[in-house]
Amino acid sequence: MSIAVEIDSLTVKIKNKDVLKNVSFTLEEGLFLGIVGPNAGGKTTLVRTILGLARPSSGSVRVFGKSPEGHLVRGGAFGYLPQHQNIDPGFPASVIDIVLMGRYNAVGFFRWPGKKDTDKALRSLAVMGVEDLKDAQYTHLSGGQQQRVSIARALAGDPRVLILDEPSTGIDVVGQEDFYHLLKGLQKKMNLTILMVSHDIGTVTTYVDEIACLNINLYYHGNPLGALNEKVLTSLYGKNVDLLLHTDVCEKCERLR
Amino acid sequence: MIEALGSPFMQKAFVAGILVSILTGVISAFIVLRKMSFIGAGISHAAFGGVAIGFFAGANPLLTAVLYSVAVAIGIDFTVRKGKISEDVSIGIFYSLSMAIGIALLSLSQTYNVDLFGYLFGNILAITPEEIVLTLAVSVAVSGFIVAFLKELFLITYNEELARVSGIRVDLLNIVFLAALSVTIVVSIRIVGVIMVSALLVIPGATARLFARGLRSMIAISCAAGLASVIIGLVVSYEYDMAPGAGIVLTAATLFFIPLLLKRRS
Ligand SMILES: Nc1ncnc2c1ncn2[C@@H]1O[C@H](COP(=O)(O)OP(=O)(O)OP(=O)(O)O)[C@@H](O)[C@H]1O
Ligand SMILES: [Mg+2]
Repeated sequence: MSIAVEIDSLTVKIKNKDVLKNVSFTLEEGLFLGIVGPNAGGKTTLVRTILGLARPSSGSVRVFGKSPEGHLVRGGAFGYLPQHQNIDPGFPASVIDIVLMGRYNAVGFFRWPGKKDTDKALRSLAVMGVEDLKDAQYTHLSGGQQQRVSIARALAGDPRVLILDEPSTGIDVVGQEDFYHLLKGLQKKMNLTILMVSHDIGTVTTYVDEIACLNINLYYHGNPLGALNEKVLTSLYGKNVDLLLHTDVCEKCERLR
Repeated sequence: MIEALGSPFMQKAFVAGILVSILTGVISAFIVLRKMSFIGAGISHAAFGGVAIGFFAGANPLLTAVLYSVAVAIGIDFTVRKGKISEDVSIGIFYSLSMAIGIALLSLSQTYNVDLFGYLFGNILAITPEEIVLTLAVSVAVSGFIVAFLKELFLITYNEELARVSGIRVDLLNIVFLAALSVTIVVSIRIVGVIMVSALLVIPGATARLFARGLRSMIAISCAAGLASVIIGLVVSYEYDMAPGAGIVLTAATLFFIPLLLKRRS
């Protein structure tokens, strides 16, 4: 198996403040990594650095052996769902227009998406269970529906690496379980490498192959079950970690189904 | 209307006006979606400085205005990056600086026969055949650029970071877009003048946004609104003997407010 992401003593400073400090880990191709940690722990900054959107202050990031900037030149290696999209509420586009944006890199310059791209976009919508919304105005959808459409957009370009920053935001409880199952299925079927930022540590650990616990420093990286011990979680979140380990919430959603 | 079409200077005005309305219509759709109306206004006023440089140096004022406003567009962008200040502040600085340069140079050059009013509010009598050719060349270049990079501009307008991840050279396209905006503004000066051109950059796009359900339909409606504004505006200003810019902007605003009010009611 080849290495998908290799991070070596990465430090990122923003306005002279360490946002990430001395972070190192590697992720093999085809694995599903969950990134957890408290607010302002640097999770978004880490994925933006991997994407080439933020620059390391020191240390290095390699994706399939190439620098993130190198990937930006050609594009298309990543499917990306940002945490906040800040879309203008009057942006004129139908759902299918939005999903087709995920195909632009594959379409190439000086060409417009064709039938093949539309089919691909429709299949991505179907995977996310929102095919019937294809002609709706994107900005008229509910938050959760927009989230599903945006994930369909990220999938539509057949990326090698899928990067999802808090994808379950706005997706209902039942939908979340389905969604994680779905990601797991895609990972296996397409040998997709997935990096997913999430706050839902209890549920995430049952689906991911590896977990990274981040609070400026990397507190833990490895088997998800290893992260579910009090020592790791206390150092990551500070006090009140019992809350995270309580499974009441999950039992409740089981009962709902 | 018929009478208006009979006069040769009105024919030239219509040709230039149609080209300019389509150009500003396309650009306007992006200006509205990307909330760039202030930079549009800033560059239009900067173009006045460029016109004055032309007079002072004895060169064609529209040509110096093209060069100067492209430089200002790049300068605004550079100042934002380098100076870590927000874009509106940078625009505010260049905007007033360019007007000051314009006034200073016009005072120094002592050319009292300069048609200041014409540059500010449009003067179709001053259109030369060379300027028609310049307008045509700019129209071909700018619309060629927009058509060739439509989907890239669409994605940048939607979300710049997603565009970068998709392999689009966002910074480069943004600069080219600013340059396209600048030349569009300059070739619009004869028709509407530097004060009024910012209206043509905003109102047709705003009208289109009332109806559009997709980016391509937004561009089409914006062009149609711009075209109608310029044609009706030129005829009205001919009939009532007013500055063409005023007639055009009044028409454009009417075409925006009528559907807006009707829409509110329904
Ligand atoms: N553009 C920026 N300007 C200033 N500070 C920033 C910027 N981006 C990130 N930071 C700072 O970096 C730190 C980490 O931010 P980041 O968004 O990576 O955290 P996060 O782990 O994703 O948090 P959350 O769970 O709230 O999404 C924060 O302290 C934030 O204030
Ligand atoms: Mg975040």
